[in-house]
Amino acid sequence: MNESSMGGWLFVLIIIVVLLGAGGGGLFGGNNAALAGYATATDVTNAINSAFAQQNSQNILLSSANNNYETARLIDNQSMAMMNQNNSNLLAAINGFNATNQAIANGFNSVNQNIANLGYKMDECCCSIKTMMLENRLQDTQIALQNQQNIAVNQNQTEYLLSVMGSWAPKAAAAYAAK
Amino acid sequence: MNLMQIITQNSDLVFKAVGAMMRGESPVDFMKNLAKTHPKFQGYNFDDLEGTANSVCANNNVDIEKMKSEIADFAKSHIK
Repeated sequence: MNESSMGGWLFVLIIIVVLLGAGGGGLFGGNNAALAGYATATDVTNAINSAFAQQNSQNILLSSANNNYETARLIDNQSMAMMNQNNSNLLAAINGFNATNQAIANGFNSVNQNIANLGYKMDECCCSIKTMMLENRLQDTQIALQNQQNIAVNQNQTEYLLSVMGSWAPKAAAAYAAK
Repeated sequence: MNLMQIITQNSDLVFKAVGAMMRGESPVDFMKNLAKTHPKFQGYNFDDLEGTANSVCANNNVDIEKMKSEIADFAKSHIK
């Protein structure tokens, strides 16, 4: 191996090192550290940070999903409770309406019965009044008749007495005059 | 990334070059054969190794004289 071939191998090593180590940037402390696809400490740190960030994002998404599921579950439960409560309220209202309707019907029935009773009593009262009026009229007629009978009797008696007295009086006057 | 890291991470290629050098093979042929299987080394004129080394170092902002010194120091401390 001569001197020129040794120099050739030096250039080979230089070419290999530069092309493998400097895939587009500086070498030996150059600013462009991402050389030839080999990971630097910065690359590793960034990768780890990225992995942590991804894990955190995943955890956040998972937590968010869990929270969303829990929220939806609570809303669903609340909705079911509200629906059940509304159904109960509706049933109570219907029952209340039914009870009110029944009470109103009972009230009307009682009123109708009272009206019927009132009509019956009015008929009864009217009948009683009519009867009483007839009885009063009969009594008045009887009294009037009795009065007429009394008058007639008195008149007859008066006439009889007067006739008796009349026939007696002239005789008495003649007897007195003859004395 | 320093020279030690580059050589360590590409030790198979470096050892191939050292082996070929020890066997007395031609560095030009070694690079031409390497370019057939390694895309990073394709498109270069390896008939002029010095010119290619200079242009490669210039294109990558590498001081070729410093590189020579680094490789020499590395060889002295690692190749007995």
